[in-house]
Amino acid sequence: MSSQKKRPPRIEPFRHKVETDPKFFDKGWRKLDDAIREIYNHNASGLSFEELYRTAYNLIIHKHGAKLYDKLTENMEEHMQEMHASIEAAQGGLFLEELQRKWDDHNKALQMIRDILMYMDRCFIPNNNKTPVFDLGLDLWRDNIVQSPKVHGRLIDTLIDLIHRERTGEVINRSLMRSTTKMLTDLGSSVYEEDFEKHFLVMSASFYSGESQRLIECCSCGEYLKKAQQRLDEEAERVSQYMDAKTDEKITAVVVEEMLTNYMQRLILMENSGLVNMLVEDRYEDLTMMYSLFQRVPDGHSTIKSVMNSHVKETGKDMVTDPERMKDPIDFVQRLLNEKDKYDSIVTTSFSNDKSFQNALNSSFEHFINLNNRCPEFISLYVDDKLRKGTKEANEEDVETVLDKVMMLFRYLQEKDLFEKYYKQHLAKRLLSGKAASDDSERSMLVKLKTECGYQFTSKLEGMFNDLKTSHDTTVRFYAATSDLGDAPTISVQILTTGSWPTQSCNTCNLPPEILGVSEMFRSFYLGTHNGRRLTWQTNMGTADIKAVFGNGSKHELNVSTYQMCVLMLFNSTDCLSYRDIEQTTAIPAADLKRCLQSLALVKGKNVLRKEPMSRDISDDDNFYVNDKFTSKLIKVKIGTVAPQKETEPEKMETRQRVEEDRKPQIEAAIVRIMKSRRVLDHNSIVTEVTKQLQPRFMPNPVVIKKRVESLIEREFLERDKTDRKMYRYLA
Amino acid sequence: MCTPVKGRGRVRLNVGGRMFETTAATLASAGRDTMLGAMLDAAWNNSDCTVAADEEEYFIDRDPDCFAVLLDLLRTGSLHVPPHVTDRFLCREALYYGLLDAVRAARWGPLDGDRLCLAASVPGTATGDGTAVRAAPDGGLCVAHGGAVRVYNWVLEERRPVNLHHAPVNDAAYLDESTLLLAARDRPGGGGGVAAFSALTGDLTHRYRVSHDRQVRPFTPGALAFDPHRGNIFASCKGRFNEYGIGVWDSTAGEQVGFLYEPPGCALGDADKLQWIDGTGTLMAATMFPRTDSSFISLLDFRDKNGVAWSWSDVGTPASSMEDKHVLHAVAMDDGQSLCVINQYDDLGFLDIRSSGNASGGVRWRSRSKLAAATRKKQKRNAPPQRAHGEEETCYPKLAAHGGQLFASTGDAISVFSGPDYVLTSTLRGSDGAGAICDFSIGGDRLFALHDEVNVVDVWETPPAPVI
Repeated sequence: MSSQKKRPPRIEPFRHKVETDPKFFDKGWRKLDDAIREIYNHNASGLSFEELYRTAYNLIIHKHGAKLYDKLTENMEEHMQEMHASIEAAQGGLFLEELQRKWDDHNKALQMIRDILMYMDRCFIPNNNKTPVFDLGLDLWRDNIVQSPKVHGRLIDTLIDLIHRERTGEVINRSLMRSTTKMLTDLGSSVYEEDFEKHFLVMSASFYSGESQRLIECCSCGEYLKKAQQRLDEEAERVSQYMDAKTDEKITAVVVEEMLTNYMQRLILMENSGLVNMLVEDRYEDLTMMYSLFQRVPDGHSTIKSVMNSHVKETGKDMVTDPERMKDPIDFVQRLLNEKDKYDSIVTTSFSNDKSFQNALNSSFEHFINLNNRCPEFISLYVDDKLRKGTKEANEEDVETVLDKVMMLFRYLQEKDLFEKYYKQHLAKRLLSGKAASDDSERSMLVKLKTECGYQFTSKLEGMFNDLKTSHDTTVRFYAATSDLGDAPTISVQILTTGSWPTQSCNTCNLPPEILGVSEMFRSFYLGTHNGRRLTWQTNMGTADIKAVFGNGSKHELNVSTYQMCVLMLFNSTDCLSYRDIEQTTAIPAADLKRCLQSLALVKGKNVLRKEPMSRDISDDDNFYVNDKFTSKLIKVKIGTVAPQKETEPEKMETRQRVEEDRKPQIEAAIVRIMKSRRVLDHNSIVTEVTKQLQPRFMPNPVVIKKRVESLIEREFLERDKTDRKMYRYLA
Repeated sequence: MCTPVKGRGRVRLNVGGRMFETTAATLASAGRDTMLGAMLDAAWNNSDCTVAADEEEYFIDRDPDCFAVLLDLLRTGSLHVPPHVTDRFLCREALYYGLLDAVRAARWGPLDGDRLCLAASVPGTATGDGTAVRAAPDGGLCVAHGGAVRVYNWVLEERRPVNLHHAPVNDAAYLDESTLLLAARDRPGGGGGVAAFSALTGDLTHRYRVSHDRQVRPFTPGALAFDPHRGNIFASCKGRFNEYGIGVWDSTAGEQVGFLYEPPGCALGDADKLQWIDGTGTLMAATMFPRTDSSFISLLDFRDKNGVAWSWSDVGTPASSMEDKHVLHAVAMDDGQSLCVINQYDDLGFLDIRSSGNASGGVRWRSRSKLAAATRKKQKRNAPPQRAHGEEETCYPKLAAHGGQLFASTGDAISVFSGPDYVLTSTLRGSDGAGAICDFSIGGDRLFALHDEVNVVDVWETPPAPVI
């Protein structure tokens, strides 16, 4: 009873104390060997865990660890061989099931073997740099079963074949697939990757390369994309069902590569169903799919963008340069707005409001809108139409949204100053003729322009509004201060600040004496209250309400322009006047006079005058009579002026010239500002800087800039550098 | 009116002839990967023999006294060892059942500087040249002695010592409880460098090489640091050809992943202390007196191109300060917002690392801490003044931070500072006459203090929480 180890006396000696027994190890090992066999044979119920654990423990503490480990490896290898044989013998579809069953057996057995050898795992293995028992079991399974030549290829082929069958619509045993791939991952991620995933990806690539070739020939773009999306979903689902999550990304990449990347150009540009077609037909669903699918493809979105851009530019160019369209400015702008709406909603619904798409769209609109230099005028006309009284009974909110949209177009304009010119003209007309529908809408438009272009842009427009307000007050005060007016006609005077309003040629016509009296009184009243001002009558812009009694006794109130009033008042004293007489007495410019006579004598239903001879045009020899037979259902008759809404060709030229004139001081100011801070600069830099500064208002022409520079040199603001002629120098 | 319930879930154990009765749940609390857990697992109990559950009895051929201690541990989570059960005996039995980790966890509580007790002293065998002590994550330790490192497990049994061709060891660090990293001086003919060893067997497992221009070059590593999250190892390196800087390796791959050459004015290759600061993702490198005349501390950001995210130096500190204060040691605090430094007068100072850029001379020195005066008084009283003086010459103060507390070794004691203002709350004074503390280390909820004179390592533990 001698114990090798020094122990406190209370401890019972070991039962296996016979360390010197040469068969000590063999006896112990035989016990374990038998137990392991029983475990593999599902016959472990008779085994005593404690006894086996103790046996293994004793072998370890008696320094038989290494031997035990070797024997264990040997033993398990034998069991692997047995299992290998039975797996190999399994036929056809049973192969995977048999493999799976044996794998389960092995796992269970391994767990129990590990339990028995727990002490070895804890004390022997870490100190001797060995593989722990469980991992050893997995490694042996991997080397002897999965990677054995007879099983390896068959396993891969079976898995690949099953997946192929599932792709073609068959139903396969997914749980078996799941447990098989799980086995491969359990054996280590490299086993899964090398022995399954690699092959799976290669096979998938060839499958999808074939499928996409077939589909591209027979499907429209939309159908093809739908199929691709479906395949992507399928693969993602497959991975989630029975593969490692890491495969998801890889298989998606394969499908994207084979089905989308390789055919990207062909799909987007596909005739009759490609991107252009989808855009034209507003096929939101297809567009959404295209957007989301090509997100995965490098350059996918940029390709979509560029194709969309060139399409928008092309259709836009057709739209703005079509001479037919230019006949109706309102419709022209409306079409632009509709186009913009259409693409906005495509970007919002289908392209998930992608900023880069919005930007691309903006740049294409900007491109084609500026192809037609009448756009600023048309847009202003469109606004005029919306803000004019009586054209449409739209409520203010609707007008507001329309104005917002118009502002979008406005933003695209390069020649914003041109727009300003036209807007000023149109606004002046609206205000003076009292046709502005809503003060609020007018002001909100002003605010929009102000936020867009700054204070400077709208200061004059605001001045116009102020003028109207003060005019009203002044008129009221005039009547309050003046009592001896008798039965002189009532006048309402709009005092317009010079400069704020579009300048008009001011040929004052001769007013009828009745009016002249009152207006002279007003003039003295006004100049009496405001020192140092000059008052000029703009007779071409006023209106008048006159009461007329016709020969047949009918009484009417006529709403006419000031010019028309002057002409009609002449007929108070006579029945017949020749054109020359009228021209002489009134001193109205010929063109205006003709226009005003046309509207008085030639418009059906409103012809208060009669012309002799009857003809369509006014000639210098015509005579005019009061039309005694004039009738109208209405008491109030509004006699319009035949005024062309759109500018005529010479007017257009004139406006343009004026704009060009206005630009000169602006360009000069910019040059001086830049040179003041930079002192010395070369020509090209000046051009760039000036363009940058003025871009928000217009695109300055480099030739004009050059001329301005020369003019500044002449006026000794700048000088050329004496050595380098390209450089300019600022002269303080 | 209790009706005797049939022993559902009850287990009878016959251990070495003594009967124990407990519940399956108690035994299962040991875990499936223990002997008891496996014994009760369904895999071993699916016998279809019709033994009634309450008659079933497990036999275990072990000592009952010790089993009683371990069963009590499973039941209560605390360890109560009767006097006749020795430590070795208990550990051996615990190892049999696979309960050694549970025993360790119950042995001492989470480290609290204010409740530390001297638990043991590990006598040194070599004399006078112990340079560093390092705590392992599991409560083990290692002591660097010149050319070798002595390794102890958490039971304080000595394992095989580790050496790298017996080159003088500059620093050591545990990557995990079984892997020990060594930094040894380069000598002509090779030998030095950084290498990983198995702390269990003492075998060399990997050598970390440095290459410059794709050529492996010898180098002398100074200090080591480890970033456990990214698995990066850092070492301050001095090459033979002026290749000074910080080397970085991937601990799993074992390959060099970077080398930060020291910029001019930054003595990185000489750094005596490296510390990875998790909160900021930077590495603190401190080069201090007496290695250099002036102290230099920097935070290195390896994601950044120029590397140095923050730096401080006492070069050019106005000499107007009454005493010349040398920063002798530095430690980054747990909050990742400040560094603590200590000078030769045992004054503590703090540096704010949140302010970017150079914080030259921005140390907030605490007024002369009472601790220094107290230590000195005590030393004068206890020991011959000459010796105390001698100790102060060789053993520079060291700092460590743990769990919001700050530890500073001064003379033969360790001072513990707690609270947001780091007030002195405890002083640890260990083995009498063991001399000044030349190094100490905290890890595995233990504090190890290496004493200079007789090379003894004092082991400080927090006792388990009081019963009531």
